[in-house]
Amino acid sequence: MLRRVGPTLSHFLLERKNSTGYSLCSREAKMSRPVQAQRLEGLDKNIWVEFVKLAATYSKVNLGQGFPDFPAPEFLTEAFVGALSGKNHMLHQYTRAFGHPPLVKVLAQFFGKLLGRDLDPMTNVMVTVGAYQALFCCFQAFVDEGDEVIIIEPFFDCYEPMVKMAGGTPVFVSLRPKAPKDGKLMSSADWQLDPAELASKFSERTKAIVLNSPNNPLGKVFSRGELELIAELCVKHDVLCFSDEVYEWLVYDGKEHIRIASLQGMWDRTVMIGSAGKTFSATGWKVGWTVGPDRLMQHVRTVHQNSVYHCATVAQEAVSQGFQRELSLFGKPDSYFVQLPKMLQQKRDQLVQSLDAVGMKPIIPEGTYFLVADISKFKSDVPDDPKSDEPYDYRFAKWMVKNKGLAAIPLSAFYSEAHKNNYNNYLRFCFAKEDATLKAASDILQKWKQEKISS
Amino acid sequence: MFCASRNFCCHGIRTFQLRTDLLSRSIKHSASATMAFRHKNTSRIEGLDSNVWVEFTKVAADPSIVNLGQGLPDISPPSYVKEELAKVAAVDKLNQYTRGFGHPSLVKALSQVYERVCGRKIDPLTDILVTVGAYGSLFSTIQALIEEGDEVIIIEPFYDCYEPMVKMAGAKPVFIPLRCVTIILNTPHNPIGKVFTREELQVIADLCIKHDTLCISDEVYEWLVYKGNKHIKIATLPGMWERTVTIGSAGKTYSVTGWKLGWSIGPENLIKHLQVVHQNTLYTCPTPLQEALAQAFLIDYKRMDDPECYFYSLSRELESKRDRMAQLLKEAGLTPVIPDGGYFMIVDVSTLNVDLSDIDEKQPYDYKFVKWMIRSKKLSAIPLSAFCGPETKKQFEKYIRFCFIKKDSTLDAAEVILKNWNKQTA
Repeated sequence: MLRRVGPTLSHFLLERKNSTGYSLCSREAKMSRPVQAQRLEGLDKNIWVEFVKLAATYSKVNLGQGFPDFPAPEFLTEAFVGALSGKNHMLHQYTRAFGHPPLVKVLAQFFGKLLGRDLDPMTNVMVTVGAYQALFCCFQAFVDEGDEVIIIEPFFDCYEPMVKMAGGTPVFVSLRPKAPKDGKLMSSADWQLDPAELASKFSERTKAIVLNSPNNPLGKVFSRGELELIAELCVKHDVLCFSDEVYEWLVYDGKEHIRIASLQGMWDRTVMIGSAGKTFSATGWKVGWTVGPDRLMQHVRTVHQNSVYHCATVAQEAVSQGFQRELSLFGKPDSYFVQLPKMLQQKRDQLVQSLDAVGMKPIIPEGTYFLVADISKFKSDVPDDPKSDEPYDYRFAKWMVKNKGLAAIPLSAFYSEAHKNNYNNYLRFCFAKEDATLKAASDILQKWKQEKISS
Repeated sequence: MFCASRNFCCHGIRTFQLRTDLLSRSIKHSASATMAFRHKNTSRIEGLDSNVWVEFTKVAADPSIVNLGQGLPDISPPSYVKEELAKVAAVDKLNQYTRGFGHPSLVKALSQVYERVCGRKIDPLTDILVTVGAYGSLFSTIQALIEEGDEVIIIEPFYDCYEPMVKMAGAKPVFIPLRCVTIILNTPHNPIGKVFTREELQVIADLCIKHDTLCISDEVYEWLVYKGNKHIKIATLPGMWERTVTIGSAGKTYSVTGWKLGWSIGPENLIKHLQVVHQNTLYTCPTPLQEALAQAFLIDYKRMDDPECYFYSLSRELESKRDRMAQLLKEAGLTPVIPDGGYFMIVDVSTLNVDLSDIDEKQPYDYKFVKWMIRSKKLSAIPLSAFCGPETKKQFEKYIRFCFIKKDSTLDAAEVILKNWNKQTA
């Protein structure tokens, strides 16, 4: 029967059509409906597509999109090249779909140590295409039509469209700045949640809360007390927690990054997300991971196997070697996880100084490689335009990159539509940059300040 | 292969009813669980957890087994491809994020190669999306263009992911068009190895145009066609470019399945929606791999008139492996279906008369056969019913699929097993 390929498709389809009496979708129905699926409604805009293009066209100094312009550590790129030069050319072929065995094994060891728990590499860990895809898997696995998801503002912009694409309803709660002591610069620690307000956001429909600590864009590192507050509410309302911890190693001034999954009652309801791109300064490798109880991970795996299925092998091999090195150097001065935050703290301080010197008011971040600065003193350069439908800081950022060659991201990009105008005098700067880049940024700022004084 | 019996119409409706039963059963179950309710998975992935690969790659992972199961080469990719990747790791910029919809040098190289193949202008920025494997392209296309309640025609047997992906989008993979329809075409075809002829493609095209439907064309094996056959892109037929998303794969083109790079090519008004899915799912694909792939494409683009171009040399190499595999199977008393393209070969194993009735598992015969073959013969393959919808599994449960993109020593080892098949006790 199979030797000759059976009846032709047309015969088959016509037969079906005739026998059922149904016709394919009518022309009218087709014409009135858009070609794209409804799940994409409202998701087409993306700040990065727009601002990355602007930076590529106009910027002389790019402190916008979050990626280092210094190289990834040598031990990592050597691991990549080494993996390729070995006799084993099977590194160019599919590996295990839920994560290359050497990588999930070392991740299980590493995070097991940090969480004080025995982790099974096969069931408690899954590798993803960047933390971005890990987030996607979580939303698709657990957020159904009508489910509510609490998002703390300001937030990494993808959370909102991902919740919507899953048919969920994002519920926002804002971090609110407390005025700093006179004369002092604000710290990201001064931005806090109001406990009563947070509690009021939990309803019967709440499926999950997204936690991002250290927080992008503010750089806030949630304290134990703040995490305990969130944890209590999660337990009380039986809510899941998607914990985006991609900047877990980038904490300054001796602060501690606390993993919410280690708090009472949280392991069973938390999916922890990490990133090799941020951990090892290799954002272009797109290797991320999820860690959690099998009961939750099984569903994350189901989404993964039905969307991407495998992640690239050789990058996973190299990242696993990177983690082996870090495991053996854990806590020691040579550890990249010790050196990187040390290096970035200096760069943070450098940028803080440059911004403060010209009258932009930076909020000193406790973590990540971003900081947010208040540009109110420079508003005269970009007058208000009541006719514009863009938030003020978008217009300011666009003007700044076109006229000063300095790229940064408007803070309102990290707010929901309803709250975009609440904080529109702020820009986010990335300081994971070579000293020369930061110096060039400082020169632009100084020149700008001089122009304002003399005009 | 088309399952074209008259009964299929009824099978389709029964299938629809079965799914409703399953759905209502699962809703009742979830309502009764209280504490665990919030931790329940979404309805979109209900029933999509099992997967033939997860099952069979685990079983065949034992290195003492001759693995002709999962479709991955154990031959080496071309050396210049490996070298390009080694070169890029040393370039700092290439370890950071690149353009979300596809690394500029790669989309440019792809547009050049496919402009030549399709005979039309392809804009690298608007008509191409780079994805994580062709798998990622299929996912993006289905999420972008298939609405809940839509029906999607899938020609059986089919690459197994089409069905769960269509279901995850809330659509129905059936053969009776009740609502808006799209068709998923796979040529050269996995697992049968069929290369659709121009006439067959014209029939599909005529229907697509007549009923204004979309076509998702999975052409990952586009270069792997054997003598006497020609791969034709349905998007090049009149009226088809504007309604077709064509999917390709670096893994299959360059024998680097572990690079997980694929692409979707089509008109801007369709690709832009795939780009929206992409920017909301994984945002960008790995940079070093895309750069290396771009360089490899440039090397082969320059020699597309030369028989040494890898696109042609690989298929010549595979044709002799195909013929050898067919010979081995025939000598073991089997009748393989000789593929016109791709690197898989299916064979009816019922003539071997292996009695598996004592194995209690409620799985189709071919699943049990392959597991038994792995255990007792140390040879692996994939059961064909993994590529069938629920109603047609019975028709194909005596077939298994072998992958022959394997080095000579692997095929030698398979030969030994097949030659000794009847000599060994069951």
